[in-house]
Amino acid sequence: MESPSRGRFEEIYDAHVVPIYRYIYARIGNRPDAEDITAQVFTRAVEQLDVTREDGQIASWLYRVSQNAIADHWRAFYRLPLLTEAQLAPGWEPVAEAEQPPKRDDDPAAMRVEAVLRRLPEQYRRVLELRFLQRMSVAETARELGVSRGNAKVLQYRALRKAALLGDGSDA
Amino acid sequence: MPDDRDLRPADRAEDAAAERFERYLEAVLRDGRPSPEDVTDGDEAEMARLAAELHAAVDPETGTPDPAFVDQLRVRMRQADAGIAAVRQPLPYRPGVADAPPHGRVRLTRRQLLGGGLVAGAGIAAGAVGAAILRPAGGSTSFTGGTELVGDNGFWAPVAAVADVPPGSAIRFSTAAFDGFVVNDHGEIRALSAICTHMGCALHFRPEWQDLRCPCHPASFDFSGALANGSDRWRANGAYRGDAQAYPASLPALARPRVKVEGGQVLVWTAQV
Repeated sequence: MESPSRGRFEEIYDAHVVPIYRYIYARIGNRPDAEDITAQVFTRAVEQLDVTREDGQIASWLYRVSQNAIADHWRAFYRLPLLTEAQLAPGWEPVAEAEQPPKRDDDPAAMRVEAVLRRLPEQYRRVLELRFLQRMSVAETARELGVSRGNAKVLQYRALRKAALLGDGSDA
Repeated sequence: MPDDRDLRPADRAEDAAAERFERYLEAVLRDGRPSPEDVTDGDEAEMARLAAELHAAVDPETGTPDPAFVDQLRVRMRQADAGIAAVRQPLPYRPGVADAPPHGRVRLTRRQLLGGGLVAGAGIAAGAVGAAILRPAGGSTSFTGGTELVGDNGFWAPVAAVADVPPGSAIRFSTAAFDGFVVNDHGEIRALSAICTHMGCALHFRPEWQDLRCPCHPASFDFSGALANGSDRWRANGAYRGDAQAYPASLPALARPRVKVEGGQVLVWTAQV
């Protein structure tokens, strides 16, 4: 049961699995879910992708399917029916026209995070930096800020809420 | 915005929300799978999404896939690719009448595996199958099959090589009379119809969720042929992964033709056309 396309599909897999995973991870933010979604994308590829297409078209196809799978993930797990692809990845070109996958340096997801942090009030930015950039626990964060643990949790909750509102399609 | 710097004790509801959301963040920060249960509304979902992006953006190394994952997925894709290619090829036609086993399933024995032409080349599959069949045979569910799928006027059609169906995999096959999947459920080989019992759409195998999925309406069938994401199971087992809602109706199980393993081949009892 040798398939003529077998070698070709594996070539495609090897060329794209790491960048596709990174693309997905940047928008999902945890390993188990990123692995599941990567597996979904390549499962669809093995079933539906025309492996005789050009490399650029194959990359476009894979990113488009990834984008949809990411949108499905957030919709299905967090009941976000109104999330559009534009909101999901602001700055992202329609994939059909994109020749190359995005470089990590100008990854829109990473840029969006930076932009949002910059626009936060000082104390909100601070709590998010301590937790996410310096990887501090709640207890360490609370000590650093001189507040109780309960207050640190409330502060980070408010900071994320504020940041989410800032990032909500109103990017300047 | 003086409000932003207000750190007076929050009200109880906000305290509880902050506490709950910290559970969510704690999972995100250790790169684990957070529970959607800790997110209760659309605003929090946006917060979850932002937290995910924040976490991912900080350290480029965390976004690098685990090499073991990449390797395992490659093997699965290779098998899926080979399975799909097998369906595209015309199947050998080998008429004959034989004594069919009573159930629509067959448990592999080591002799069948080793004597059946399963050679070292199929190393990964052989190891996995070998492990699975060493489990005690007792306690497995027996099918209460309804009407016989095919009566006397049939033949055993070889549809797949045993080596191509390691545990947890499914391979699509077609005979002139029947479209189906050969599945390997922890060492037990079964044949199932590939046609959704709702409106007749063709099911596809999803390795990551171990189900046969309908593309028309999102019904999922498990390897026993039963509907896997109906509301009955939803209540018992919680949300079916990847689905926001239970499948709204109950559906009959997939048809199961008789199956046997011979000479390293999986054979399915199918009708003459």
